[in-house]
Amino acid sequence: MSLKSLIGIEYTKIRRSKIGVILLLATCILWIPSIVNADLNFTMQAEGITPENNFFIQGFMAMSWFMFPATMLVSTVLINQTERKNSGMLKMLSMPISIWRLCLAKYVVLLTLAALQIMMSVGMYYISAAIASQTQEYNLLLSPLFVCKEAALIWLSAIPMLAIFWLLTICIQTPIVPIGLGFASIVPSVLIINTKFWFAYPMAYPFFFITSEYGKLAKNLTTTQAEPIPWIPTAIFITLVCVLLSCIRFGKYERR
Amino acid sequence: MSIALEWKKTKRTGFFLTFVAGGLLAGAVPILNMMVREKCYVGRKEPAVDIILNANWQLMAMLTILLLLVGACMLYHTEYADNAIQRMRTMPKRECGLFYSKCGLLLFMSIFLVFLQALAIYFCMVHWFAYTAEQISVLIYNFSYTFILLLPSVFGFLLIASVCNNMWIPLGIGVVCIFTATMLPTNNRWLSLFPFALPFQTYVGKDWNTIRMDLLAAVVESMLACIAEGIILKGRRALA
Repeated sequence: MSLKSLIGIEYTKIRRSKIGVILLLATCILWIPSIVNADLNFTMQAEGITPENNFFIQGFMAMSWFMFPATMLVSTVLINQTERKNSGMLKMLSMPISIWRLCLAKYVVLLTLAALQIMMSVGMYYISAAIASQTQEYNLLLSPLFVCKEAALIWLSAIPMLAIFWLLTICIQTPIVPIGLGFASIVPSVLIINTKFWFAYPMAYPFFFITSEYGKLAKNLTTTQAEPIPWIPTAIFITLVCVLLSCIRFGKYERR
Repeated sequence: MSIALEWKKTKRTGFFLTFVAGGLLAGAVPILNMMVREKCYVGRKEPAVDIILNANWQLMAMLTILLLLVGACMLYHTEYADNAIQRMRTMPKRECGLFYSKCGLLLFMSIFLVFLQALAIYFCMVHWFAYTAEQISVLIYNFSYTFILLLPSVFGFLLIASVCNNMWIPLGIGVVCIFTATMLPTNNRWLSLFPFALPFQTYVGKDWNTIRMDLLAAVVESMLACIAEGIILKGRRALA
């Protein structure tokens, strides 16, 4: 069975999970304070950032710090637990399909859910920016090209983090430990981005990236810039190792 | 149903290990912060306990509330995973008892977490600051207050977890609730009484009326969660 068909099957498995509702709810809650406090965007002269850029960046910073990694952790639980319930994994493993492809297909579904969450955030950004523009009588809407580029880069920066979450779920059978470890790894990211070794901590990548973008948009604010070296090689290395280990360890418990 | 029985059920789930590791991590936050940024905090005029709590409590509270969420989801996941809940329902016991036993266990773990965090703060006070006996009593009051403010989270997360068969649904709802709590404006008195926002409050720098209102809100919200659980169970039985 090809990887494409397996990915299709994995989408079917989570079709009735209502994960979209949870992701949408989180996204709505993300943008409500931005609409309510839209006037605060006009008091950022000290930082040297325009109101429209501030509206966009504050929302995406709130998303990248906790909401996005936490909902992705929930998504890994969804993908994993759906398969474990009623020995679903045993049935899949008894079929003549490659275990590696099956594992990769599930990881691709996780990446898709991440993209869905980011796309929802972009959609909600435009809705809330349009509402705030009306209430503030100032155009807070940014160019779709710029917003989509930033959103795509956040998604790319999240790939190593998702690989780690996926590896944790695969390697540890009891669900509480990978979830606990995942949450415990998200919370300190706010501190890690201020250290020299942020590039070695994938859970901080999305938040680090958006913070560095804030530094670029705010003329009077200096933040650590995302240097491609050693970030990109480290990120690629971590992703490859985690995905490889996930594929090796996938279904080990059921195959004992 | 007893708390001891619930404890036995969690034996091979990594429940205790997660709480110990999480508690140690939350306790490590103020110690690491003091080690790295000692100069920013030592020498200030405010009392030691105020400085340490103001600098670290948001992160510590976040870790605590996330641990409670994971713990609540896990406690009900052990029941729902292989339909064990159906066997529990056939026993000659009230189903509400199961909920209260789980609440008891999670409350015990909350005391454990709060104790570890109080020890960490005490260590920072002893090691980096010249503290007084009065500050020790403030520390004790603070963590007693924190424990009561954790009650709505404990009951609330268990209520959500008891309703949903699949573990990821209460986990997702819990994450959304915690995220909402972090997004609420801190200067709005009524919004700060949101059940999952209460644990982010600290005792220091507050007047007695505010503290009394927080405590009252925590107790009322916990009672409402218990009443809601009773109604849900009755409704579920009636509709089954």
